[in-house]
Amino acid sequence: MAEAEGAIGTGVESELDEEDFAFSRSYFLAKETGGASKRKSAPKVSDINPVDEQVLRTTLSGLPVKHGKEIKTLLNSYKDLYPEWLFELRCCLGVLTYGFGSKKTLLEDFATSSLTNLGAVVINGYLPSVNLKQVVLALAELWWAQSHGRRRSSAREPSGAQSMEDLISSLDEKPTKDVESFVCLVVHNIDGPALRDTESQRYLGRIAACSAVRMIASVDHVNAPLLWDKKMVHREFRWCWHHVPTFEPYRAEGVFFPLVLASGHAAQTARTALTVLQSLTPNAQSVFKALAEYQLAHPKEEGMPGNALYGMCRERFLVSSLVTLKSHLAEFKDHDLVKVRRNSEGQECYHVPLADDALEKLLQELN
Amino acid sequence: MVSPYAMPDPSSPLAAERNPDRDLQPFFVLRKPEPGKVVTTEATHGKARRKIDLSQLSPNSRKPSAALPFEEDADANYEQLRMQSFNATWSKIECTIQGCLKQMNLSLFEEVRGWIYESFDKIKSTGLHSVSNTLCPYPLLTDGIYRQIFTALILTKNMEFIDDLLTFQDLGEHLRSSGCHIANLSYSDFTVKHGIAGCFKSLLRQLVMVSLEAYDITALASWYCQKENNGKPVVLIIDSIEQCYGPVLAGFISIIGEWVIKIPIILVFGVATTIDALRKQLPSEALQCLNCCKFTLPSPSERMNAIVGAIFAKPSLGFSVGHEVAVFLRNYFSRHDGTITSFIRALKIACTKHYSLEPLSFLSRIMYDEETEGTWSIMCESLPVSKLEYAFDLPSCRRDSLNRKSGSEIAQGLFDFRRLWKGWTCVLLCLFEIGRISKMQLLDIFCEAIGQTTSDVHSSNGSSLSSVTSQKLCHASSQSAKGRLIGQAIQKVREISPASLSSLLESWAKHTKDIDEIHSKVRQLQSLLRSVDNDGASIFADVEDDGALKVNEKAAMLMKQIVEDMLKPIESIPFHEIFFFKHVGVLRSALTGDPRKMIQLDLLKSPSYLRCICCRTGDKALRPSMHDTSILYHLAQEHGDFVNLHDWYNSFKTILTSRRDSRRKVKGSSTPQKASAGPPTSDLTEASIQARFCRAVTELQIAGLLRMPSKRRPDHVQRVLLGL
Repeated sequence: MAEAEGAIGTGVESELDEEDFAFSRSYFLAKETGGASKRKSAPKVSDINPVDEQVLRTTLSGLPVKHGKEIKTLLNSYKDLYPEWLFELRCCLGVLTYGFGSKKTLLEDFATSSLTNLGAVVINGYLPSVNLKQVVLALAELWWAQSHGRRRSSAREPSGAQSMEDLISSLDEKPTKDVESFVCLVVHNIDGPALRDTESQRYLGRIAACSAVRMIASVDHVNAPLLWDKKMVHREFRWCWHHVPTFEPYRAEGVFFPLVLASGHAAQTARTALTVLQSLTPNAQSVFKALAEYQLAHPKEEGMPGNALYGMCRERFLVSSLVTLKSHLAEFKDHDLVKVRRNSEGQECYHVPLADDALEKLLQELN
Repeated sequence: MVSPYAMPDPSSPLAAERNPDRDLQPFFVLRKPEPGKVVTTEATHGKARRKIDLSQLSPNSRKPSAALPFEEDADANYEQLRMQSFNATWSKIECTIQGCLKQMNLSLFEEVRGWIYESFDKIKSTGLHSVSNTLCPYPLLTDGIYRQIFTALILTKNMEFIDDLLTFQDLGEHLRSSGCHIANLSYSDFTVKHGIAGCFKSLLRQLVMVSLEAYDITALASWYCQKENNGKPVVLIIDSIEQCYGPVLAGFISIIGEWVIKIPIILVFGVATTIDALRKQLPSEALQCLNCCKFTLPSPSERMNAIVGAIFAKPSLGFSVGHEVAVFLRNYFSRHDGTITSFIRALKIACTKHYSLEPLSFLSRIMYDEETEGTWSIMCESLPVSKLEYAFDLPSCRRDSLNRKSGSEIAQGLFDFRRLWKGWTCVLLCLFEIGRISKMQLLDIFCEAIGQTTSDVHSSNGSSLSSVTSQKLCHASSQSAKGRLIGQAIQKVREISPASLSSLLESWAKHTKDIDEIHSKVRQLQSLLRSVDNDGASIFADVEDDGALKVNEKAAMLMKQIVEDMLKPIESIPFHEIFFFKHVGVLRSALTGDPRKMIQLDLLKSPSYLRCICCRTGDKALRPSMHDTSILYHLAQEHGDFVNLHDWYNSFKTILTSRRDSRRKVKGSSTPQKASAGPPTSDLTEASIQARFCRAVTELQIAGLLRMPSKRRPDHVQRVLLGL
């Protein structure tokens, strides 16, 4: 009950915060707008001298967790909420946890320690893809195994040959009075990349609405509620929201995100370009080299004019005709290795859309 | 028997430790039920028992299991009792709501049923629906008029179709029970993705019970030829035509139109907007196939009135809501969502929270259980000391300096509450009857009635109450009659016509039949009105009678009197907390959540959650010991929509490398705080700072607070949310 008072208390506090927030935002926006004209070019990421991506990833994996002890205490304090969550699940509601920090350990701990002897399936929604039919099959098998012992059911054991509809129906065939037995579906990041599409959410909603399933899930994205329409919210998921910030690092959840300082883009693109170039003929590679060298030698120009490139390539015996050169250039353009633009004299110029450092690196690798 | 649930031990470490192999599996089975330990709900928890097992609470019958200590065992028992009470209460509420909505729709369902059979007769009268005709090669030569599909348009008067999903299911059930073949189709069957095959697949699945990939209406025709299926109308219900994809729906109608001469298909469309919706949705060829008839469902506010009247004025539910919650529910319905479904969900969450958080809520069954008062007294007396202390520490009892804090006092208080609540709801029902006549929103009346406080109370009443209650209510009488809506309602009694007054008195008599004193007065008024009516009819047929006015005045006075006597402020009644859910904050946060605001606040106020002394200081300065993502998000506040990565990184690095705080010792602590907070400053290498920066940016990206650099602005990230 103190929670209620707390919630009301934070309401007043947050109003003040909101004012502070709005004020600081207007201040910095004004500063940014005013300063834009004065500063000609913003400092670049490359000025930081980012370390190699591999080093960065190795360091990242070995980083200690700040306030590990406090985080553990915080997680343990949420154990007091387990009976409440369990009560809500038993009342056919869904439990949805939100707040900053990974809730993976918390949810799995709840399922392990509170739902003793009930089947539980975990979905890692932060992964790029999840096959929901396989999940439903696993749930149906668990439910069948769980209920088989005490129900003389004529229902056959679920199998992968059954359609999604049939599997979902098999999870919904529970006698309505038997509210105390169910299988639990734990969904980490129900708003994650694998589950963010409408169809997945619809299926998840239908699974959550099944009488034999209870769902406990976590969301991390601030706009997660936009995923659901009213039917999903009120009839299917029937969420009961719980704010449980854990401040635990998103170890598993962040694996598939690119690192912002991973010398980025340039290295990535250069590597991609190298892969493409290595698959081309040596002559084509040489044409690309000629163009790249020209670009590095003339950094202020828009690019290399077509006739100049043809001349150079003929001199070096790389192409025998304009047609051959054009076919090489078409190949480059298809793979975004070369772009075309016009210079001040209206001539068509070819250039490689890579920064100088990336281009140098690429030439080194190519040689 | 093994309980499927376990009470967590807060001191134990987290049971689920990180398993990196599982992190990369799209899904995995965390726990399988052990074959030997089958959960037997009936035996463990007494299934959905109608009666509470009071013996569970008797001290002699407690048999603590070996696994659980005595106290924990008792707690588990009480939790189980609360669960049972919740199930009993919620199933009552749910049944009441369903019954109430069904009752409202019943006349319409009957109307639709009558129309369907009329239409079916018309189709049959063509004589084309014999088995031989159905099986003969298509097309049959016939008059164009028979290619029309009889279509019922059910106007839902509600933009939110969610409320009507159940209505259409109920309609389907109603029609099925009267001998029709029914298929309930949804808008999701008429999508671009699934095309025409999607709706036929769903149709055949429901009627023919086959799952075909391609649409094959001949399967439906041959199914209809079977002896057991022939001779009944086939009704297809589509709940929300506005949301269907028009061309697919048009194609479906056109195919059905070709087959209607073989299979007597009748359509029922749910229309959320206006009758024009069909014209907008369908081309003229499809429209020509339809022979429409219009029906109208009750509006959401009419339904709401019916539900409120059925739930909040029911004395035997054992659950109700306090004033703030009632106002929240009203606003949630009228301003936020406007759907009955959302109101029911909010009510369910309130009910769940009440039974989950209120330790004595299991006693609410006293309102409807058939157990004798003696049994309840024994049960209250067997409550453990902690529960007794809790009961007498409830705000409604705290003011009362009772010397004898015993279980029997609680039992007496509960009986008193039951008696008072019965009278209270009886008055509320009478007020609702006036509200119905004067088209008031019943939830508004309820909010006003439940919102009275003891400060509104100014004079005493003489009702006979028990020791506890009478002490509490010694000066309690409500002036609610002077309240805005209730006052208006009483005034309305003075103004209504004799005919309305007669029906109003009739309903009052029905509601007050258990309260003799009031019932007899209502009967007197009824006889007075009858005599005045008889006189008026014979002497002054066309003139408004003074006598009737007198009866109106008397009825108003009676209402005023019973409001003052019986509509007590709830907060003054001891132990009312056991029955009333009053924590609006809990409900609000459980119902809607607010990730946009809360996740930002988490980051801006991380030290208050982590409770670390090193980061909690009076000033708002950033400390290197703070959570990295929190530091970074604080720093992001100093930028506009775009944050330059270089500047941001340098600010972050400056904070991390500042030695100001890492050297300072915290008051009362002999060790520098840096030791517990994270790596010491000397360990900070360029790589580690960059790695921490990257991790924090990724975490902000996961939270949806940032967008990564674009090709156009490769050195900036974009802030997504500006302001809480």
